[in-house]
Amino acid sequence: MTNLTRRNFIKIGAAGTATVILAGCDSDERWVKIETYVRSPEEEVAGNPKWFATTCRQCGAGCGVIARVINGRAVKLEGNPEHPVNRGALCARGQAGLQVLYNPDRVQTAARQDGRATRNYEPIPWNTGINQLAEALNSAGSRVAVWVGTTTPGHLVDLFTRFTDAVGAPAPVRYDLNAGFGGYAPLSNASEGVLGQAGLPTYGIGDADFILSFGAEFLGSWISAAGYGREYGEFRSKRIGKARGYLVQLEPRMSNTAASADRWIPVHPGTEVLVAQAILRLIADGSAGSQERRDLAGQFAGDVDLEEIAEQTDISVETLQTLATTFANASRPLAIPGTPVTGRDNATEAVNAINALNVVAGNLGGSGGISLTPAAPINALAAPTYSNYQDAADLIAAMTNGEIDVLLVHGANPAFELPASAGFQAALENVGLVVSFASIVDETALYADLLLPDRVYLEGWGYDVATPGFQGLPIVSGQQPVVTPLYDNVAAADVLLTAAKSVSGAASALPWTDEVAFIKDIVTQLPEAAYPAEGDDVKWAYFLQHGGWWPAEAPESEAPEVSLGGPVELGPAMYEGDPAEYPYFLHLYMSPILGDGSGASQPWLQGTPDPMTTIAWQTWVEINPRTAEELDLDDGDIVRVSSPNGTIEAPIYRYPAIRPDTLAIPIGQGHEALSRYAKDRGANPVQLVSGTPGNDGNIAWSTVRVKLEKQGENKPLAVFESTVDQGEDVHIPF
Amino acid sequence: MAETNEHGHKWTMIVDLDKCNGCNACVVACHAENNVPIASEEEVIRGRGNHWIRIERYWEGEYPDVQARFIPVFCQQCGSAPCEPVCPTYASYHSTEQNLNVQVYNRCVGTRYCGNNCPYKVRFFNWWTPEWDSPLNEQLNPDVTVRSAGVMEKCTFCIQRIRRAENDATADGRELRDGDVQPACAQACPSRALVFGDLYDPESQVSERLPAERQFKLLENLGTEPAVYYLKGEDTHVGE
Repeated sequence: MTNLTRRNFIKIGAAGTATVILAGCDSDERWVKIETYVRSPEEEVAGNPKWFATTCRQCGAGCGVIARVINGRAVKLEGNPEHPVNRGALCARGQAGLQVLYNPDRVQTAARQDGRATRNYEPIPWNTGINQLAEALNSAGSRVAVWVGTTTPGHLVDLFTRFTDAVGAPAPVRYDLNAGFGGYAPLSNASEGVLGQAGLPTYGIGDADFILSFGAEFLGSWISAAGYGREYGEFRSKRIGKARGYLVQLEPRMSNTAASADRWIPVHPGTEVLVAQAILRLIADGSAGSQERRDLAGQFAGDVDLEEIAEQTDISVETLQTLATTFANASRPLAIPGTPVTGRDNATEAVNAINALNVVAGNLGGSGGISLTPAAPINALAAPTYSNYQDAADLIAAMTNGEIDVLLVHGANPAFELPASAGFQAALENVGLVVSFASIVDETALYADLLLPDRVYLEGWGYDVATPGFQGLPIVSGQQPVVTPLYDNVAAADVLLTAAKSVSGAASALPWTDEVAFIKDIVTQLPEAAYPAEGDDVKWAYFLQHGGWWPAEAPESEAPEVSLGGPVELGPAMYEGDPAEYPYFLHLYMSPILGDGSGASQPWLQGTPDPMTTIAWQTWVEINPRTAEELDLDDGDIVRVSSPNGTIEAPIYRYPAIRPDTLAIPIGQGHEALSRYAKDRGANPVQLVSGTPGNDGNIAWSTVRVKLEKQGENKPLAVFESTVDQGEDVHIPF
Repeated sequence: MAETNEHGHKWTMIVDLDKCNGCNACVVACHAENNVPIASEEEVIRGRGNHWIRIERYWEGEYPDVQARFIPVFCQQCGSAPCEPVCPTYASYHSTEQNLNVQVYNRCVGTRYCGNNCPYKVRFFNWWTPEWDSPLNEQLNPDVTVRSAGVMEKCTFCIQRIRRAENDATADGRELRDGDVQPACAQACPSRALVFGDLYDPESQVSERLPAERQFKLLENLGTEPAVYYLKGEDTHVGE
């Protein structure tokens, strides 16, 4: 040991700092450095912001965001004005992304749980965790399963897929509430009939002048909130060649999408396809629209009895006639199927019945209609595919049968997002090692043996092929850290790449040193973007600077091959539950604020009032005031809602815009974990649906009946609106 | 409808109710930009929710002929503001340069007269000193004061952004351009229902869009001269 003089001490200190920085990253371009004021980098002006483009991972839409960073702290997220998905817009959940980063309940290191669901976590060094994973993967061979969600970044899904391919395991299951409740699988499957190939379609809302939405909450949490919100603004604008769009929303409970519609039609639950069939018949037999449209409608119209449909749907023949005439006469009409259609039996067929209207409209393939996101120009960047619930159920069955030794979960929370009857938690008992990559302990991580918390999206790398894309563009959204990682966490992709090195068969399939090398390798293969860039380094730098890659102009698309031949003759949806015992239809919807429930961990979202009820922080049951009166129920009265599958308790909110035979409950709350803000708050209505796959391999989100029992207690509602009943006469005292 | 004035600005917001769909992006954006604390469940129940911009939802009619309407409401930056003359400490005063109602937090002693006198109910009282569970305090915008207990607060049209844009323009030796200033709410709005600009600038988007057929102001009959223009929703009942 040398003599420790003051001068030497400073030298050693400086060397130590430098070492830490070098060990922390392979290349200094990869991290934003936090610097103290006293040793600020020359270019840093205190209080002057820096801006970093990255990708939002609050849902799967892949919006571009720009983070405002001051002295190493991310203080605001904005939409990226260049990004084709959102063009500068950002939804409520996107805005709240800072609270994913700065959430006080994040897991701060690797940890082991001493007994599942004991919440007894013991921090372990990362090497220990990665070694344990590597050993488990090595001995598991092909008995490995990966469960990811829509919010898992694309590069990580690609790496997981390369890994499962290499070891001979099935491809990752990509299923969560966004994909399941959003109906990604039936929507994708139905694309085959009208667009020639499967894939999640883009609805050209902005260029349409008449929209018939069959319960698609495209202004809520459905698929791409900011993207469709932006399109909706276009839809409402008048431009040369386009009139102000007219929106008709058919659904049993008025959502904020229906509230924004020109006309809300409280259709009888489960009869959406009958409405479509009636409209096709009326167009075929009528005189509205072009001859071509009438001929096409004739091709798809079945033998239907209009009077009977009017009775079944609760929509008069006159109204059906109006809808048919308007649809046929519109220059760019569009029909959109939502969760009431994708969450029923025969979901793909039901989507086809709605899509037949799009065939009649002649809006397939181009802008203003329905189209597929064009493929990215290199094979490694194929559009993401989403699993149907059947794939998830098959995996659960394999787990139950003891066929899975290691389960890796990232970006999905099946223990919360699936009904208990799906058997996910029970199946985990037969899985040797459950690994969660969650950044906050969620319900699934409660059952994990090993926590390897991933870096959150504002401190991690990635790319994402945006699906649906917009404006006919293939879009590869880029993700980069905007701040130095807050905690001692290792990126999930780096965990996988490191572990795979010692797994036989996998090492050669995953040769990259780290995730940045992998992403860079892929990104530099991309052809010219909307911005000019030459050479690998410039391409990479511009990819990060602009927030992704997309071409200046949409590639030319070929006319799709329509194989949807004749009429789709499908009856009303089959409901679960005997009407005598369960008198009400259950209408579930994803909270427009909390989304799939992951938003419940963020106080900004918890405290934001629901647009329709103005309730914050809670779960409530919406009931028509007339039904409430019959049952002697007032706002805040706690009720027990039971279906053949489960039971929840929540307070009543008398909701003027819901059918008297329907109860509506938002999904999002009812967490057992997921931070102090979400835990033990509200109820999870997912428990009311059945975990048995329907005949289309989906969950029957929208076809279950429930009953209601008053509990005799009252809970004050956290409403932001006035609770003073102003009645008919409002007296203003001045 | 540009108005002319050699000095200052007339900041104006246009709210197109035909495009607002109640998504609440503006609400969260405002909380993030302006360090607006979140009220807990208990506080919301006691009527102490605090949102500088809120989406009011009105029901009209009865089922099945029921209609819901959204109106985003925030400080209307009145030209003749009822909140100003009642403030005993001049915490609430009128900026003639920016044509804004300004709240000086360190003058405010919390009489709440201004909140009482505001017909739009857009002024909020800090009943408690806001706390952010660490490290949520890292998200705070350093350009905006965190208000303590006993102080009244409200929408400022993101005055910190106006100031920054002015400073940047001065540093570049140019005039402010339309679009340089975007309050957080208008910037986030996916459907572009909120449009912000200077009514003294004849080239600005707001000047070009006003007067509009559908325009109205909230509680205009009170003589408050709000700076916020609302555009009525269009009810084009096609085929009816």
